[in-house]
Amino acid sequence: MRSRRFPATALVVRRAAALTLRAATFVVCAATTLRAQDTEPDRLARLDQNSRITIQILLDSAEAAGLPARALRSIALEGVSKKADSRAIVSAVRQEFTLLRTARATLGPVDPEELTAAAALLRAGAKPAQLASFRVRQKGRSDLQAFTIWADLITRGVPSEDASSAITKLWEDGADDATFVSLWNNVQSDILRGLNPGTALQNRIRETPGRPPATKGPPEGQQENERSE
Amino acid sequence: MTDSDQLHPYVEWIIREARRPVVSDAEARDRVMAAIHAEPVPRRIGVWQRIFAPRVFSLSPVTGALLAAGLVGIGVIAGVFTSNRDGRASVEQPPVAQVVRPAVSDTVVKFVISLPRAQQVSLVGDFNDWDVAKTPMARSAHGGLWTVTLPLSAGRHVYAFVVDGSSWIADPSAPFAPDDGFGHANSVKIVGRGSSL
Repeated sequence: MRSRRFPATALVVRRAAALTLRAATFVVCAATTLRAQDTEPDRLARLDQNSRITIQILLDSAEAAGLPARALRSIALEGVSKKADSRAIVSAVRQEFTLLRTARATLGPVDPEELTAAAALLRAGAKPAQLASFRVRQKGRSDLQAFTIWADLITRGVPSEDASSAITKLWEDGADDATFVSLWNNVQSDILRGLNPGTALQNRIRETPGRPPATKGPPEGQQENERSE
Repeated sequence: MTDSDQLHPYVEWIIREARRPVVSDAEARDRVMAAIHAEPVPRRIGVWQRIFAPRVFSLSPVTGALLAAGLVGIGVIAGVFTSNRDGRASVEQPPVAQVVRPAVSDTVVKFVISLPRAQQVSLVGDFNDWDVAKTPMARSAHGGLWTVTLPLSAGRHVYAFVVDGSSWIADPSAPFAPDDGFGHANSVKIVGRGSSL
């Protein structure tokens, strides 16, 4: 070997190789650590082990039952962010699971968004039987807006029965999303002006005409940009 | 064995042969010397020659693998420090309203709330895993308005604002979502489906 002709050089080269090897090992370890930190940690890991396992079982059960597990996970993460007690988080997730199952039993196979809105409505205080009118619907018609307004009205203090009959009547009369939004805007402004929530709804529902359902809506996925202002 | 008389005859013969002068052919001697002079004189090896002269190394397979992994690691480190996850340059940005290129099916939504006394406002919801650090809002130039713009998929989204890292408030301009059991009201945003909520 030619390196034997220059023993000093060979020694330097060997030392350099060893140094490079050590540096490379360090770089690999550092890179692995940085990559691990860059990967987003699971925020549910903040829960204690029992709660985490229970929630994971509920998520798996929801998926197996064809229910939107994303809604359950969202509630768990909301609880973590709000620094709620682990038991409260598990209880909220379990309740959501039950509500989703009840909503689907009532409405039949609807899309996950509508199912989540229906579950929220049941949590607000509506009874499953009150959702029965929404089981049959025209193709392409969504009850998402109606359920959202309905849940809001109950949350703002409108008696559940009053909200149910008002929204159901509008729905059966073929009201579109804009009608529900308009009703909500009017009732909300009346409540903010100090009117009793139930009275505000009764007043506004009288002046809200039912409309025939739109015969042709926009194609799915083709939505205009919107602003919440 | 100082007395040569005591040496073995064979040894004595070797000594005699060794002492006998070698008679070489003068012509042959000249040829040998000429051949020696024809050889180039070894030059002094310089620093550059030492550096650039090819060498043969021997590395074990494990050492070679570690060396290769190290080189890959250097590339990873370079990648980490020169770009962030979405491939943009990692330049520190002030917390301004996010304008992210939306997916084809997403809708760009602007969230606005008036909080003149707030020092810091964040938007949290099911679209960002309720992470307070993910979507900071920007204060407008004219005072108390806080805004953020982000793409959302069509459907129902539940959200809230977090003021100064601790106070959770619902959007007063949107429908309320019933309490999930955590003691704070949320708001609902319906995206797409022709809604203006």
